[in-house]
Amino acid sequence: MKVLMPYIKRYRKDVYIALISVIALVFATLWQPRLLQVIMNAILKGDQATIIKEGIILIILAIVGIISGVINTIYSAHVALGVATDLRADLYKQVQKFAYADVEKFSASNLVVRMTNDINQVQQIVMAAFQQVSRIPLLFIGAFALAMITMPQQWWVLIGMMIIVLGVSWYSYKKMSDYFAQTQEDIEDVNTVARENLMGIRVVKSFVQEPQEIAKFSKASDRLTDVTAKIGYNFAILMPAFFLTANIAVVIAVYIVGQNITVHPTYLAAITSFISYLMQILFAVINGGFLMIAASRANISLGRIGEVLETKPSMVYVEGSKDPVEGEIEFDHVTFTYPGDDAPTLKDISFKVNVGEMIGIVGATGSGKTTLAQLIARLYDPDSGVIKVGGKDVKQLSESTLRHTIAYVLQRSTLFSGTISNNLQQVKPDATLPQMQWAANIAQAAEFIERLPQTYDAPVEERSSNFSGGQKQRLSITRGIIAQPKILILDDATSALDAESEKLVQEALDRDLKKTTTVVIAEKISSILRADRILVMDNGRIVGNGNHKQLVASNPVYQKIYTTQKAREGAM
Amino acid sequence: MSDLKNASKYYWHYLKKYWFGFLMTSILIGISTACIVIAPTYLGRAVSELTTYLQQWGDTATRSQASLGSFHKTLLIYLGLYLGDASTLLISSWILARITAYSTGTMRVGLFRKMQRMKVQYFDQHSDGDILARYTSDLDNIFNALNQALIEIFLAVAQFIGLLIVMFNQNTTMAWVTMASTPVALIIAGFVMKKAGVAVNNQQDDIGTLNGYINEQVTAQKVIITNGLQKDSIKGFKKHNEKVRKSAMSGQIWSGVLNPLMQGMSLLNTAIVIFFGSWFALNGTLSTGAALALVVVFVNYAQQYYQPIMSLTSLYGMIQLAITGARRVDEVRRQPDEVTPANGKDLPGIKQELQISDVHFSYLPGKEILHGVSISVHKGEMVALVGPTGSGKTTVMNLLNRFYDVDSGSITIDGVDIRDFSLKDLRKNVGIVLQDPQLFSGTIADNIRFGDPDANMDQVVDAAKQANIHEFIASLPDGYQTKVSDEQSIFSAGQKQLMSIARTILTNPQLLILDEATSNVDTVTEANIQAAMDRVIQGRTSFVIAHRLKTILNADKIVVLKSGQIIEQGNHEALLKENGFYAGLYRDQMVTE
Repeated sequence: MKVLMPYIKRYRKDVYIALISVIALVFATLWQPRLLQVIMNAILKGDQATIIKEGIILIILAIVGIISGVINTIYSAHVALGVATDLRADLYKQVQKFAYADVEKFSASNLVVRMTNDINQVQQIVMAAFQQVSRIPLLFIGAFALAMITMPQQWWVLIGMMIIVLGVSWYSYKKMSDYFAQTQEDIEDVNTVARENLMGIRVVKSFVQEPQEIAKFSKASDRLTDVTAKIGYNFAILMPAFFLTANIAVVIAVYIVGQNITVHPTYLAAITSFISYLMQILFAVINGGFLMIAASRANISLGRIGEVLETKPSMVYVEGSKDPVEGEIEFDHVTFTYPGDDAPTLKDISFKVNVGEMIGIVGATGSGKTTLAQLIARLYDPDSGVIKVGGKDVKQLSESTLRHTIAYVLQRSTLFSGTISNNLQQVKPDATLPQMQWAANIAQAAEFIERLPQTYDAPVEERSSNFSGGQKQRLSITRGIIAQPKILILDDATSALDAESEKLVQEALDRDLKKTTTVVIAEKISSILRADRILVMDNGRIVGNGNHKQLVASNPVYQKIYTTQKAREGAM
Repeated sequence: MSDLKNASKYYWHYLKKYWFGFLMTSILIGISTACIVIAPTYLGRAVSELTTYLQQWGDTATRSQASLGSFHKTLLIYLGLYLGDASTLLISSWILARITAYSTGTMRVGLFRKMQRMKVQYFDQHSDGDILARYTSDLDNIFNALNQALIEIFLAVAQFIGLLIVMFNQNTTMAWVTMASTPVALIIAGFVMKKAGVAVNNQQDDIGTLNGYINEQVTAQKVIITNGLQKDSIKGFKKHNEKVRKSAMSGQIWSGVLNPLMQGMSLLNTAIVIFFGSWFALNGTLSTGAALALVVVFVNYAQQYYQPIMSLTSLYGMIQLAITGARRVDEVRRQPDEVTPANGKDLPGIKQELQISDVHFSYLPGKEILHGVSISVHKGEMVALVGPTGSGKTTVMNLLNRFYDVDSGSITIDGVDIRDFSLKDLRKNVGIVLQDPQLFSGTIADNIRFGDPDANMDQVVDAAKQANIHEFIASLPDGYQTKVSDEQSIFSAGQKQLMSIARTILTNPQLLILDEATSNVDTVTEANIQAAMDRVIQGRTSFVIAHRLKTILNADKIVVLKSGQIIEQGNHEALLKENGFYAGLYRDQMVTE
C-alpha cells in the first residue's frame, strides 16, 4: 500500500468520480425496495397518481444506476491504467539507473517478470478495488443495518451465520493452501519435463526414449491431476455449504418469529425483507473473501515492485565533462570479488597499456579475463586498488565520458530489433551511410550487409534471429567501432568467425584504427598472435606480460596453453 | 468461427468419454434448481399458515384449535428442499471437479505424447517458449474454463429454464413483461462484447509488444550499460508504455462495462415490472390481494431473471481464452507424425557401407539447401565434414537418422533405403553427440543410462570412464547419485559434452554422428574431450562435423561442403594436392599458427 498510495494520489480526481459513482450505484440498488414498499401501499389504497409518480422515480433511479455503473467503470479504468503505466515507467527508469551488479542481483528475467506480470496483478486489483471492493462494505453495512432495524432480536442469527461462513472459508482456505503449494511444485515438475523434452527432442528421439519420457511425464502430470482434483473437491463444498447455512438461518429466523408471533405479530410482514438482507450480507461476505485472496496476491506483487524501486543503484557516477579521454589504461594493485563470492576473482592486478597498443589477454576459463575487461568499462568497482583510463581514476569520470571512450563488444552479441542502421545510430546518432560502410568494412560485415535487399536498413528481428552467429558478431563489432572509440574491448568477440575473417578484421583494425587501444580477450592463441603485448592470466593473477615470442620462450603457463592448442591442431 | 469449430472438436475428443458424468450432473443440477425454485413457495405457505394461526389465536372461540403443527411441517419441508439443493449441488460439483481435473490431465499427457511422435521439423520451426506456453498458459486457460465456467453454465441454463417455467405458470402476461427487455439487453451485450473483443485484442497485442521490448532490453542490459544507451532505452519504452495505456484503457473499459450495464438493465427491468405490475393490479380483473402477491413474486423473478445472463457474460472472457487455448493445443494435435514404414525392416548393423546418393533437400519448399550430395562410407570409416557455416553440414546429419527425410535421392545402408527400416531400429543404431547436449533432471547415473534405462551401475561407470568424466563425477559428494537439472548445471559446457559422449558410448551405436564442440572450454577439458572422442569413434562408422584440424587429419575421408554442394572429397594428402578450397583453408591456419 505504501508503494501504491502516491500513484493513486496522482489520479485524485478520477478516484473521487469513481467513488461517487459507486455510491450512487449502491444507493440506487438499496433504494429500489424502499420505493417498492411505497408503491405497494399505493396499490392497497388504489392511489394511481402516487404509482405513476413513484414509478417514474423508479425508472429514473434505474437509469441513474446504469449511468453511474458506466462512469464508475471508465474512471476505475483511468485510475488502474494510470497507476499501472506510471508504476511500470518508474520501474523501468529505476532499472536503467541500476549498475550491472544490481541487474545481476535480481536477474534480468526476474526484473522482466516484475515489470510485466506483477504490474498486471496490481492493475487488476486496483481496477477491482474501485469497481467492486468499494461497493462491498457499503452493501454489507447497509444490509446489516437494515436487517437489524427490521428484527433487532435476531442479531445472533446474523452473527451466527457469518461466523459459520467465515469458519468454513478459513478451514478450507487453510487446508487448500497446502494443496496450492503442492500444485505449484507439481506444475514446476511438469514444466521441467516438458521443457527438457522440447530442448532435447533430438536426444530423446535418437536414443528412442519416447516411451520412457512419456512415462516420466505421465507420473508428474498424474500427481498434478490428483492434487487439482482434491482442490476441486474442497471448492465444491463451499458454495452448497454457504447457501445451506444461510437457509438454516432463514428457517431459524422464521421459526422464532412463529414461536413468538402472538407477542410480535408485526414481524410477519418483515420476514421477506429480513431474508433479502440476509442474502445480501452473505453475498458481501463471499465476494469480500474472494477479493481478499486476490488482494493478498497483488500485495505480494506490490512488495516485489517496491523492492526494485527501493534498491539504490550500487554505483554512482560523477557529473562533469562528457568528452572522451585518451585511450590509456592502468591497473594499480586491483583486487576484485564478485558480490556473493567468497574468493576474489582478480588478485592484485597491475599493468599499463599505452595509447594505440593492441593487448591480448589469454588464460583458462575462469582465470578472470572477462572480469578484468569488465572492470575497465566499470561494470563493477574493485574491492581495492585503482583503475585508470586516460590517466584518471574511472570513478572520477562521468558516465558519458566513460561510454564515449570505451567500446565493449561482448562474446554473446546482442543486437536490438529494428534495423541495422538503428543499431548503429544508437551508438552514434549522427552516423552517415559512408561512416556505417567504413565500420562495416573493418568488421568484415559490409560483404553480407550489402548483399541484403535493404542493405543498412535491413530489419533485425528479435534475438537477431535472422543473422547467423558469425554475422551477429561482425555486426556487434561494427557497432563497437562506428563511433571511433579510444578503447576497444573485444571480449571473445570473434569466436564464431572463421580464421580467415578473424585475420581480416584484425588487419583492418590495425590499419584504420591506429590510435585506438585494443584489448582482445581470446581462447585461441591464434587470435592474439599479432598483439603488441599479451597478458597471461592464471587463477585471477597476471602471470605473464610480453609478446608471443617472449612468452613462448619463457612463460610456462603460456607454453602449456600453446602446446595443447598446437597439439590439437596436429602437425602445425 | 473456425476457432470455435476446432475447439469444439478438441473438447469433444477429450470430454466425450465423460458423457455419463455430464448426464448425472445435468440431472442433479435439474433437481437442485427445482428445489430452489419450489422452496420459496413453502416459505410463502409458512407465512400464510402463521397468518391463519394468528387469526385463530386472536379469536377466543378458536384459540383452542390454533396449532403451529402444520407451520413446523412446512418449515421442515423448506429445510428439506435446501438440503436437497445443497447435496445435489455438492455431488454435481464433485463430479465436475473430477472430470475437469482428469480431462485436463489427459489433455496434458496427450499433448506430451503427441510431441514425442511429431517430426523434428515442428520443433525447428516453433520457438520453445511458444510450444511450452501450450503446456502452461493454454492448458491453464482450458482448465480454468472447465473448472469455473462449466458449472456456471449448467447452473445458469437450468436456472433460466426453471425461471421461465415458473413465471409462465404464474401469469403469462407478467412473464412476457419480465422478458420484454431481453432483446435490448442482448443487443447491448452483443455490441459491447464485440467492441470488447476488438479492444482486448489490441490491448493484448500492445502488451505483447511492450513485454517483448522490456524483455529484449533488460536481457541485454550489459550492452545498454556498456554503450550508455539508458536514455535511448527509456525513450523507446515510453513510446510502448503510453501506447499500452491507451489501448489497455479502452480494453478495460469495454470489457469492464458489461457487468454494470447488465446490472443496470436488471434494475431497469425490475422498475418496469413494478410499474406495469401495479398498473395491472389496479386495472386488471384480479383482487387487490392477489395482484399484490403477483407484484411481489414477479419483482423477485425480475431480479433473478438477469442473473443467468450476467453470469454467462462474465464468463465470456474466460471462455474466449479457453477457445483460443483449445485451438492452439489442437493445432499441435493435428501436426503430422513421423513416418515409420508399415513393415519396417530390422537393421542388424552396418555390414559393408553407407551410401548417400544424389541427395537434394530443402527445409522450406523452394529453398533448397543440399543440391545433390553423394558420399559413400565403408564400415568403420570416419568421415569429416568440413565447410563454412551454412554450408549444409548439420543438414547432412539431420538426414542420417531421419530427423528429416530427403526430397530426392537416397541414403542407403547395405543397399537398403533408410526409410525402409523401422524408425526405432534405425535410431537405435545411430548415436549422436550434439554440441550443446541436453541433460535431463534426475541423477547423473540416470543421464548416462538415458539410452538404456536398464543398464547397471558397472556399465554406467565404465561409460563414464571411457568418456573421461568418471573422475569428476566421483569427486562430487553424491557421486553418480548427484541430482542434475539443465537449468542449474554443475557441469561446464565441456563436461556436458563428455556426459553426452558417455551416454552414447553406453548404447553402443553402429553409426555415430558427432558435432564437435566449438564452445570455449579450458585446456584440460579440451584434452579430455579429444581423448574421449577418439575412443568413441574407434571402430565405428562415423560422421564428424569437424572444427579441429587434428580431427580432420585423422579422418579416412574429408568432405568439403560449400553452399550445399560437395566441392572436394578425399583424404588430407589428396586434397592438398588438389590445391583447392581445403588447401587454402589449411594454409590459412598454418599462417596464423
